[in-house]
Amino acid sequence: MARRTLVLAALLVALAAATIASLALGAVKVPLADTLDILFGSGGSASDRQIIEVLRLPRTVEALIVGAALGVAGAVLQGALGNPLASPDVIGVTGGAGFGAILVIIAFPGSIALLPASALFFGLLAATLVFLFAWTGRNRGGTTKVILAGIAMLSLFTAGTTGLLAAFPERAPSAIFFIAGGLTSSGWRELETVWPYFAVGFLFALALVRPLDRLALGDDVAASLGSKPQAIRLGAGVAAALLAAASAAIAGLLGFLGLVVPHVVRMAGGTSSHTFVIPASAIGGAALLAAGDTLARTLRAPIEMPVGPFMVLLGVPLFLWLLRRAI
Amino acid sequence: MRKKSATLLLAALAVLALCLPAGAGAAEAPKRIVALTPFAANTLAKLNKVPVAIGETLGGNERFSPKLRNVRVLPLSHPNGPNLEQLAALDPDLVFSSKTWAKGNQAMEELGIDVVLHDPRSIAGALADTFKIGAIVGRRQYARGLVKSMRVQIAKARKGIAKRPKVMLILGVGRTPFTFLPNSWGGDIVAKAGGDLLTGGVTSNSGFERISDEVVVAENPDVIIAVPHANADDIPSLTDYLQDNPAWSSTNAARNGRIYVSVDNSLLQAGTDIARTIRKVRSAYLKN
Repeated sequence: MARRTLVLAALLVALAAATIASLALGAVKVPLADTLDILFGSGGSASDRQIIEVLRLPRTVEALIVGAALGVAGAVLQGALGNPLASPDVIGVTGGAGFGAILVIIAFPGSIALLPASALFFGLLAATLVFLFAWTGRNRGGTTKVILAGIAMLSLFTAGTTGLLAAFPERAPSAIFFIAGGLTSSGWRELETVWPYFAVGFLFALALVRPLDRLALGDDVAASLGSKPQAIRLGAGVAAALLAAASAAIAGLLGFLGLVVPHVVRMAGGTSSHTFVIPASAIGGAALLAAGDTLARTLRAPIEMPVGPFMVLLGVPLFLWLLRRAI
Repeated sequence: MRKKSATLLLAALAVLALCLPAGAGAAEAPKRIVALTPFAANTLAKLNKVPVAIGETLGGNERFSPKLRNVRVLPLSHPNGPNLEQLAALDPDLVFSSKTWAKGNQAMEELGIDVVLHDPRSIAGALADTFKIGAIVGRRQYARGLVKSMRVQIAKARKGIAKRPKVMLILGVGRTPFTFLPNSWGGDIVAKAGGDLLTGGVTSNSGFERISDEVVVAENPDVIIAVPHANADDIPSLTDYLQDNPAWSSTNAARNGRIYVSVDNSLLQAGTDIARTIRKVRSAYLKN
């Protein structure tokens, strides 16, 4: 218990540090005192206010929400499928969202405003098709069937994305940041569109904390305790699909986070209890993405780089260190 | 005796030289030329050396010389360039290509075709390359005249620049557009048209970089020109999208409705219509 408390406290400190860094650092130097004044509603020049209120604050909030969503999506899926390799990729969401975004960027650049909606739609469509195939026919709702259907759907949508990029190679540079994963300074606009999906996804995940712990005892035991394993898996899939598709709509393809963060918190906390893993994954994911995004936009400032590689650079050493100690 | 032999030899050489057709002895000018870049294609047309095929260009064929109207157009892909079987069937002596198609250039050379790279990224480079192309295709004099007339026209197009607005020139759509730097074709054109190019102090060999929106807010451009890979029909919706970008809403460009979308490739790829492009940038965008 003390270890879990310690890990949670460390994650909260990391989250606070990443949030402050994300608000205080950027391509334009704004003194911390001015940043605080602006955040509390007074002071600062017009351009500094614009930078903090319209660019950094929404971007930081997006990083926190998307990071938490991907961490939770990975934790819920790994728990529901009993598979350590489960992540939003496995239920086809990442592939579908990627296709939806690239379709707009490449084939319909005039409708670029529809990018988040298209990513969200195709991400959810891919997940729906996975559930449809996995929950019909023989052995419906089986873990292997869900994973195989997910991999097939991922391959299908990835092929579509690659085909689009090959057909319009001169337009590919516009798609790089989405594929590599990256937050943008688009104010609150995108969050206003997708927040209901995040809200429903988080509520679903919260409701699944105890059922997932029962499922971890095995399908038979869970059933004897009054749970419905297939319904839990479906619920987990829906929660993960909503969270991952909404995340992709805002920040592009950041599959790594959903895979690694739950493992890191599980190994660090020394427990697989979802009462711990789900909130810890949310805090860890939020801290990691906020820190990665701050690095991506400050390391070579004013040049902005995709956040995906930075998250990998931050997360992999910690993951490998924990892996060496755990196994 | 030796002196007499030498005199006879010189006389024989002189007769031989008179009998040879003019130009013999120099490398023979290529006859079947393929021009993959719009710059090389138009330069050849202006030099009255029409190529057997030209590369498909981005943003339509408006910029091509009328002399190229009936010339075969080869579709291009990145980084391979033209389909090698289609190209080989044309039996070209020489291909004017670009670094963009690096992989294809190597394959063309392996087919025994001479490949020359001419895709300038500056006005000075375009003028120098015009002369080089003229020399390669045996039209040195034409090229000299052409360069001279281009210089005159460019000077006329730049005459009377009254204002130097701060300009951000962006490439592509999506939520992460790239900014043209001075060492890009579009960057050089805008600078020569009197624009003060917003770069955030960034340099890059590629001529493009993704620059933080914080710098855009801080430097506050008067004009934003977007060069997406899109069609003319998309201009209104793209202009609205860019105008609504919260990150740029406080800039002079957004507040004064001076965000423009350019869908032809005149700011993206070098051409021989430099003076016309400068005039268009000045009248349509910079209004200076």
